[in-house]
Amino acid sequence: MEDNSEVLMNYGIDKKPKLLVIALACTLLIATFASRSLAATDTSALGTTQQFVNQALQILGNKQMPIPQKQAQLRTLMEPRFDFTEMSRSALGYHWKTLTPDQRANFTAVFKSFMEAAYLSKIGDYAGQTVDFLKQTSLGDGYAQVFTKINQATKPPIPVNYLLEQKDGSWMVYDVTVENISIIANYRNQFNRVINENGFDKLLADLKAKQQQLGVSAAG
Amino acid sequence: MGRIVKGKKSSVIIAALAMFSFASPALAQDKMPPHPPGENSQVYSDPLAGFNEKMFWFNLKLDHYVLHPVASGYAAIAPTPVRESVGRFFNNVNFIPRFVNNTLQLKLPQAGGELARFGINSTVGVAGFFDPADHWFGLKQSDNDLGLTFGRWGIGNGPYLVLPFLGPFTVRDAVGFAGDSAMWPLPYFVPWYVSLPTDAGKAVMEAVNYRSLHLDLFEQVDRYAVDLYGAVQDGYMQRRAHALKEVEQ
Repeated sequence: MEDNSEVLMNYGIDKKPKLLVIALACTLLIATFASRSLAATDTSALGTTQQFVNQALQILGNKQMPIPQKQAQLRTLMEPRFDFTEMSRSALGYHWKTLTPDQRANFTAVFKSFMEAAYLSKIGDYAGQTVDFLKQTSLGDGYAQVFTKINQATKPPIPVNYLLEQKDGSWMVYDVTVENISIIANYRNQFNRVINENGFDKLLADLKAKQQQLGVSAAG
Repeated sequence: MGRIVKGKKSSVIIAALAMFSFASPALAQDKMPPHPPGENSQVYSDPLAGFNEKMFWFNLKLDHYVLHPVASGYAAIAPTPVRESVGRFFNNVNFIPRFVNNTLQLKLPQAGGELARFGINSTVGVAGFFDPADHWFGLKQSDNDLGLTFGRWGIGNGPYLVLPFLGPFTVRDAVGFAGDSAMWPLPYFVPWYVSLPTDAGKAVMEAVNYRSLHLDLFEQVDRYAVDLYGAVQDGYMQRRAHALKEVEQ
């Protein structure tokens, strides 16, 4: 960040034409503000992902914080980032159409709590892994894929990709691919089997039972 | 048994980082967002489900009561670098299907690379226990198998099939596996009463060694799944779809 008065003095305002100096100052001002605003709010899919992942890593890496507090902070951080309704719809596949709006909302809430319990209960395993943000590609209008890689100490890196959609101007995640396996597609197969064999209510019951087993308290 | 664990490996390694927290009251749109190509976004018909599910639970019990305990005991006495070297030894010795299938798919640089890797690792790499072909010469492994060759030739997967001891396949991949197994040279050079116990021993050692290097494989899948069979099935199918995409490039 330049102090523009110094720039003006360096160029010897007394000796150079005033117009040239003013033009130069304006260019520098614009350049300075433009780069600052880009760095502060990179609203691309990659930028959004980078932000929340790095913040999550900070929380995970905080050795002083007790685990329940980490879980609470991670919940708050991630809440606006994941489109849980879209994930539920995608995971239920054609079964979604057979549900009433109440059933859909209920399922979304149950799936959310289950996922929270499953993933937040493992944060104690965090062992200083770092993340490389590789690139983003566009999947069409308002959809993007962000490629990242988790580096581990003695093992090969794990490719993790995020699929994001743009909703009201901000990017939200609707699927995560770990080692080239889409999590939502995997759940789609599981949910389809459970619904076909035992019905939708059994699926809800199974999700709730699994969440209990995992023992992390729900956000409520 | 080596086959069963390999099939599950990728479907299971859930990053410590994938945190989900939610509650977005977003309106559900009418159109489905795109998933990238290569993903299996359909559900599987699984006509052999009756048989497959029995085999799946058999394999799971076999792993729980036999393979995992043995592998854990082995892991306790043999240090990780030793077991990784043993893994490299088996990997090296199993190069023929990779070489043949890369050739069949006309991926000649990769086929040549596999031959070179075998030559270098067997000699400089001390019978394949080390991998100087990669670390010194940058020659990467080119994974390939007969199931993928059939896939590239346009043969569809066929029904999902779970075999005892061997794990998940599709009919196409199972035929491919049989073909790849026939490329193992030993039975062609020694009588059956030598090759059969040797190959059985080899299969067991490979499986135990591999399992010992990935001890919490099932625990990971089980933790995140409401339907373990479905999770493994989809993990296998997605992994194979991705592998086919990779060799098509």
